[in-house]
Amino acid sequence: MEREAAAAPEPGPRGRRRRRRRRREGRTRTVRSNLQPPPGAEEPRAGAGKGALRRRCGCPPYVADNRLKTTKYTLLSFLPKNLFEQFHRLANVYFVFIALLNFVPAVNAFQPGLALAPVLFILAVTAFKDLWEDYSRHRSDHEINHLGCLVFSREEKQYVNRFWKEIHVGDFVRLHCNEIIPADILLLSSSDPDGLCHIETANLDGETNLKRRQVVRGFSELVSEFNPLTFTSVIECEKPNNDLTRFHGCIIHDNGKKSGLCKENLLLRGCTIRNTEAVVGIVIYAGHETKALLNNSGPRYKRSQLERQMNCDVLWCVLLLICMSLFSAVGHGLWVQRYAEKKALFEVPEADGSSLPPVTAAVYSFLTMIIVLQVLIPISLYVSIEIVKVCQVYFINQDIELYDEETDSQLQCRALNITEDLGQIQYIFSDKTGTLTENKMVFRRCIVSGVEYSHDANALRLARYQEAEEEEEESVPRGGSLPHRYSMGSYQGIRILNRSHSTKSHRRSSSRAEAKRMSTLSEHTAFSSPMEKNITPDPKLLQKVIECDRCLAKARHHEHPLAHLSPEQLDIFDFFIALTVCNTVVVTSPDQPRQKVRVRFEMKSPVKTIEEFLRRFTPSRLTSGCTSIGNLAPNKSANKSGSTFLPALTNDSTLFRLDEPLGRSPLAINSNGYSNGAPDRWVPENPGLEREPEPQAEPEPEPEPEPEPEPEPEPEPEPQAEPEPEPRPQRESERELRYEAESPDEAALVYAARAYRCTLVDRLPDQVSVELPQLGTLTFEVLHTLGFDSIRKRMSVVIRHPLTDDICVYTKGADSMVMDLLLPCSSDDPRGRHHKKIRRKTQHYLNHYAVEGLRTLCIAKRVLSKEEYAGWLQGHLEAESSLENREELLFQSATRLETNLHLLGATGIEDRLQDGVPETIAKLHQAGLQIWVLTGDKQETAINIAYACKLLDHDEEVITLNAESQEACAALLDQTINYVQSKNPSSSLERTETSLSVAFSSLCSPLASSTSHPSPSLVIDGRSLAFALEKTLEDKFLFLAKQCRSVLCCRSTPLQKSMVVKLIRSKLNAMTLAIGDGANDVSMIQVADVGVGISGQEGMQAVMASDFAVPRFRYLERLLIVHGHWCYSRLANMVLYFFYKNTMFVCLLFWFQFYCGFSASTMIDQWYLIFFNLLFSSLPQLVTGVLDKDVPAQVLLNKPQLYKSGQNREEYQPLTFWLNMVDAAFQSLVCFFIPYLAYYDSDTDVFTWGTPITAIALFTFMLHLGIETKTWTWLNWTASGFSVLLFFTVALIYNSSCATCYPPSNPHWSMQTLLGDPLFYLTCFLAPVTALLPRLFCKALQGSLCPNDLQKGRQLAKSITAIDTFVQEELRTESSEQKKRSTSACPFQDSIAQPACPTKASEEPHAMALNVPLKEDTLVEGLGRQAPGSSMPEEEEAVLEEHPGNSKRKPVNTGGTAPLSSIFNLPNFSSLNWISSLSLVSGLGSVLQFSRSSLQMEKQDSDFLPSTPQPDQELQATDYF
Amino acid sequence: MQKTSQSSPSRRPDNTAYKQQQLPACRVQLTASRVLLCFFATGLSCLAMGIVLLLSAKGIQEVEINYTETCADCAALRENADNFDKECSCSIPFNIPQAMQGDVYMFYKLYGFYQNLYQYVLSRSNIQLVGTDVKHTDGCDPFATLNGTPIAPCGAIANSMFNDTIILSYNFNSSEDIKVPMLNQGIAWWTDKYVKFQNPSFNDLPSAFEGTVKPPSWSQPAYELDADTPENNGFTNDAFIVWMRTAAFPTFKKLYRRLHRTQHFTEGLPAGSYSLHITYNFPVTKFHGEKSVVLSTLTWSGGSSLFLGLAYTVTGAVTWLAFFSMMAVYVTMEKRI
Repeated sequence: MEREAAAAPEPGPRGRRRRRRRRREGRTRTVRSNLQPPPGAEEPRAGAGKGALRRRCGCPPYVADNRLKTTKYTLLSFLPKNLFEQFHRLANVYFVFIALLNFVPAVNAFQPGLALAPVLFILAVTAFKDLWEDYSRHRSDHEINHLGCLVFSREEKQYVNRFWKEIHVGDFVRLHCNEIIPADILLLSSSDPDGLCHIETANLDGETNLKRRQVVRGFSELVSEFNPLTFTSVIECEKPNNDLTRFHGCIIHDNGKKSGLCKENLLLRGCTIRNTEAVVGIVIYAGHETKALLNNSGPRYKRSQLERQMNCDVLWCVLLLICMSLFSAVGHGLWVQRYAEKKALFEVPEADGSSLPPVTAAVYSFLTMIIVLQVLIPISLYVSIEIVKVCQVYFINQDIELYDEETDSQLQCRALNITEDLGQIQYIFSDKTGTLTENKMVFRRCIVSGVEYSHDANALRLARYQEAEEEEEESVPRGGSLPHRYSMGSYQGIRILNRSHSTKSHRRSSSRAEAKRMSTLSEHTAFSSPMEKNITPDPKLLQKVIECDRCLAKARHHEHPLAHLSPEQLDIFDFFIALTVCNTVVVTSPDQPRQKVRVRFEMKSPVKTIEEFLRRFTPSRLTSGCTSIGNLAPNKSANKSGSTFLPALTNDSTLFRLDEPLGRSPLAINSNGYSNGAPDRWVPENPGLEREPEPQAEPEPEPEPEPEPEPEPEPEPEPQAEPEPEPRPQRESERELRYEAESPDEAALVYAARAYRCTLVDRLPDQVSVELPQLGTLTFEVLHTLGFDSIRKRMSVVIRHPLTDDICVYTKGADSMVMDLLLPCSSDDPRGRHHKKIRRKTQHYLNHYAVEGLRTLCIAKRVLSKEEYAGWLQGHLEAESSLENREELLFQSATRLETNLHLLGATGIEDRLQDGVPETIAKLHQAGLQIWVLTGDKQETAINIAYACKLLDHDEEVITLNAESQEACAALLDQTINYVQSKNPSSSLERTETSLSVAFSSLCSPLASSTSHPSPSLVIDGRSLAFALEKTLEDKFLFLAKQCRSVLCCRSTPLQKSMVVKLIRSKLNAMTLAIGDGANDVSMIQVADVGVGISGQEGMQAVMASDFAVPRFRYLERLLIVHGHWCYSRLANMVLYFFYKNTMFVCLLFWFQFYCGFSASTMIDQWYLIFFNLLFSSLPQLVTGVLDKDVPAQVLLNKPQLYKSGQNREEYQPLTFWLNMVDAAFQSLVCFFIPYLAYYDSDTDVFTWGTPITAIALFTFMLHLGIETKTWTWLNWTASGFSVLLFFTVALIYNSSCATCYPPSNPHWSMQTLLGDPLFYLTCFLAPVTALLPRLFCKALQGSLCPNDLQKGRQLAKSITAIDTFVQEELRTESSEQKKRSTSACPFQDSIAQPACPTKASEEPHAMALNVPLKEDTLVEGLGRQAPGSSMPEEEEAVLEEHPGNSKRKPVNTGGTAPLSSIFNLPNFSSLNWISSLSLVSGLGSVLQFSRSSLQMEKQDSDFLPSTPQPDQELQATDYF
Repeated sequence: MQKTSQSSPSRRPDNTAYKQQQLPACRVQLTASRVLLCFFATGLSCLAMGIVLLLSAKGIQEVEINYTETCADCAALRENADNFDKECSCSIPFNIPQAMQGDVYMFYKLYGFYQNLYQYVLSRSNIQLVGTDVKHTDGCDPFATLNGTPIAPCGAIANSMFNDTIILSYNFNSSEDIKVPMLNQGIAWWTDKYVKFQNPSFNDLPSAFEGTVKPPSWSQPAYELDADTPENNGFTNDAFIVWMRTAAFPTFKKLYRRLHRTQHFTEGLPAGSYSLHITYNFPVTKFHGEKSVVLSTLTWSGGSSLFLGLAYTVTGAVTWLAFFSMMAVYVTMEKRI
């Protein structure tokens, strides 16, 4: 027990110490303090044997300490274990088998030791790799294990410093601020007077917001410092599990009292303590039982598609090998038989003089042949592929284009062996929120009490926020048209601006982005970009709020302060209170990072027991509680005036409450506004409600109307009523508060409320302080928080209202949920009618919001009577403390609370599209990928977002499937299929094929593409999807889905997501990619062939489950289209080359069998034979496999159609494989027979003749690789040269090393002799040339007669590069001339209005550029289209013009106002940065497009509709070019 | 679990050509226009080389006399292994129509003799042959020992050594037969003779080979291989060394003698009638083999490689054919464009 020796310095009391008591009782674990003697452990006094003792007294022999051990091996176990693992690979077993076969004398082909060499080499390489990995793991483990922390020591009665690894379950650990938590610890004491502790879980899930943790109930009251020695309670909790969001258990005190534990009490390993000076806790789970480690499953092993195909071909090779060996065996048998009785001199008989019977000889020959021809199964292929993939992963990681400056993160490859799958994806399944959108929520509009506030200024601000980043873009504030229409327009405007911003951001000097990044780093908070923080309030609503506030301020001394408000005002007031209170936002202050801003009154925990409830709610207690509220903490208060009269107020309200009859009907309470006798008559009947609501009828008998319009003399100088166009209202109050929320929309709502001066200033577990300008700080006592969950889709808080002392429930949730939970209102009484109307209106606006793509939330309220509350609380507490079925009980409890709600209003939050999403989707569509978006959102929202991100097209058909039942779904499916088929009689697959080829041939004629029919898109909702995924319908559904370009599944659950992916994967046998960012996408990500996680704001769960993690959705484009294509093409070519190489080499040996009586003799020396693959010919192909780029990145990005070659597996098909094999056979024939005939009838000996053949084979391989390699860098040259050199060096050294060694070849001086023989050179030249002639000829002929898309792309790349260099030179010298010429080009566009000219000009050369490498007539045609009647310059000029337009987008973007000259006077920039700007060309077509549409928007002003079909067509045309 | 390293704030990858895969590269574009030159040059060089080779091959003169059937009596005699010690010789007259200029080499050529058989190739002891240990016979089974005594040289290769004696005589003036002077040394590789094959270091060979027996098929022990030149005996016997270099194909020739250019033969072999006197020891008819004697001159490129010249010419021609068709394609493409 060396651990114990390390842990306890003195041996004395060690025997008695029981560090941990862990009893496995069913599904729970029991933890006791290690400082206490165990219960039943009195007997071990005598026995000092610790280990034996522990076992005797019932402890499990296995105990978990906090030691981290992620290593797989120990020094001793490494060899056997590693070998064992390696032999799981069938190939390795095979090769070892072959090598061992060499030890059988009758069949051995090589020296046994030598035959083992390659296998050992491969095994050693792999073992070394494993060892290195394991060692680095060990090092990091060691480092972590030896971190220090304070553990309470029984001997020293104080906290002593220990290593992490010495912590055991049951130890007491004391942690200080900013320390990392060493194990899963139950929080028992905190220096925070509230018993709180904040932790940052970034290490665990990537979320940077602070999470609040709470001291276990019963310990929080401890005033003095917690003393571990007195801790005698027993903790019962769950077995270790990996659910980070769940922890249940209870703590049993000495007196038998139980109290429940929840995840709020648990500090998880790996998190960091923040904001809290010191905490003490007891270790519950240690080491590998901690949730953090249980969650860490390590990298995954997936087998890629290509590898599967390759394995299949390896099997073919095995078959070939067996055939060859069999052939040889039969041949040898026959040969032996033929010479059997002849006693030929060359026959080597057995020892007894008899010759072998033919059959035995054949069997021996068979086995020997298997050894000799073993090279056919490429032993080094697997290793090479692994190496290549590691390098590919390295290069993908290194790609600067995939680096996101804002988040300082680059792409991570988590799965090392499926890089090439990226090049073969056919279906993309995407999440919406956080994947396509930013998941940055911005408050956009709201509805309160049925009145819609469109927040036009806010929309403008958002638009302007983007513009602020642009140079000067002048945006005219549009007047108020129809609110809906208007907002649509502005929405689009934002998007467009946003987009141009995104494409530009690459090029913008990094300083700004750098600054931005630094700022985000220093801020260290999530979800708080200024855009989200600063919300411009709607003037009307603000006015109302101020009024309401003022009323309240006046009425606060009255008995029923709220009664003075109109129902609408009440709703507004409650609405903002709900926005402020109903969340879990933590307030921090930036000047003291992570320091809590606090306004403390008294230590008071939320109501947790009935007794407590009764105690607190008895009048006397209430009074005292309220007076205690009166002890306003002096440290923090914005306005003293407000706080001074607060006690009085609350006292008043207490009195009021006491006076109130308890038996009020719930209805009366719920409609609180009306309970005070609010008359119904005020309800306006006119539909113009939203215009002119209600300043008129203030029905209350309030004497003070006080219509002073000037702003209040508040401490905060708020820019209110008039929406000033200033983009960033300097509205920071003297103390800036920062809100840290678990989800971004919470923060958005709180910020929105703050804009209306309802400011959340502090949040403690038991109270929330809200600051109102007139009322000062109101403190709400939080009785309960029912957190958000995805089933309920809502959250609630139960508070006691400080003004009325009512118990209120504020609920915030999805409209579909909340709307159903509203209090049913009868239509016969006017109030009910009014409510109905409000609801109807609200629903109406909500639908509008959804169409706009806003996320909607409904806010509702319920007032509870004490009895109701007490009743509910009883049940809830029971539910909370139960161990079984807890979730369900809690759910039921929550449902009981959240009923009969009164609708306050609703909010619309905008989740903006991420940068570059529409372009990416357009590109991916062009690349032949089918994109499915699976979202949990509403159908309308989803469709709108889909339009916005170009997933759906306005001129294409959208099929919507909404079925209520299985039968309906079936019928609908049939109907739709019929419809689709009638429209497109040909089957979908072929059709898309042709359309895409048409699309590509539009390379030659850019106009042709528009003729292709757009395929329909499918929208299906979750319920229908569930039906469609049934066994009976799935085929139909798939058939339909296959025909659709994109599919949108709304309201789908995580399970459905994964089911869809699984279905497509298995039924269509297609390569699938799933991309998502949240926990709800994990199942989908895991099911798909390739899972991509977005390392965004929603934590790391998706990333943890993914194979690749990208910072943004737009990086998917480059990842797939460039890297995926490259990886696939490289690996496919390399695998093919490997097969070719081995086959060719083996065939050489096989042909020789015809001349040696099939005796398995080889003419190639065994050394060459064994090391040829391993050393001599491996390096160049590795270099090619890693670095070759068949088509450069910019061409790939420009023409995503090239991606289809990967999808169709064009590079590595069975046909190509067999063609390759045939070519290999042919080449081997040439390479065998040319030397054969050349040396025929000469006195050459076997091995001297074999050496030239080896050399010839080497040269042929190099040249073949040369033909196959598309790009030659110095690395390729070096590698090839090195290989040849290596071969000759090794041969020369080997041939001069030993005169008697290496039987049978004994090649002493062979190479040296050969080098002096002209015949050697002659054959070495002739054979490779002849062997490769046909291949080269066919390739060249095919390349020029009928080039495939990739070759075309390559040609294009060539011309682009040529153009580029040309342009560089030209432009440097005659840029001024160019300027003139290009400006003069403008008048050609005679028919086009002048303002549009710049755009036209910039677009036109673009179209021409595409023509450059192509036919002249299309060029002319294209020009003719652009500028009728103009004698346009010939190619060169077009080229020259094209280029600046291409690479210099800045002026183009800024649009029409930019002078044309600026387009052309920046060529130096573009030429210098050609390399770095290559990728920029990618988005080019679309950029032009969007700048164009933005221009149009300006021109057409409010008339602009985003759905004009024209831009889309143009987009297509330009992108195909 | 690692602490987030604050020291390196940026994870931005290096923007180097290598890491960004932007290394300057020359792009190989396989289209007609681009490979034209390559084809042309290859064709040209091949044709040129082919013609040179053909011309030089023309200068090679070779005479082959197959004596398998000519000495049928001896062959029949040798088929019976019992007659191994019976002498049998025959004489074959032949005519050389044209003088063979320069160095003339005499080869013996065997047809259907599989010297490259896997087991056969292995059946030798390099340790023994290099003279380290004359009794080292590992790997020579079943020709390692004879009744317990190690065989020197052991192994199947040595045992099956070609042991016909061929004497070429020139019928000078149609009356007088002159024995053409031939050298039996200097026909093996220098490294073989002086590095790979060494006699055991004793003063005299017989004592060096003491304790060993001759291979079963041999008529005399190794140290009596060449009665004329004492130093050409034992393992360093040239004919033995040549034989031990196992041929690549079942049909092969091995250098037997080279012309000693003296007297009438300073210019090579003059035209005229010759005769071969063959002591027929080596049985080939048993396995339907054949043997012949080849007299040949050599050129710079080695043996009688008419093939290489032809191959080069044909390859060159084909390459040019390809070149022309490519040209046609290119021209038509150009026209179309």
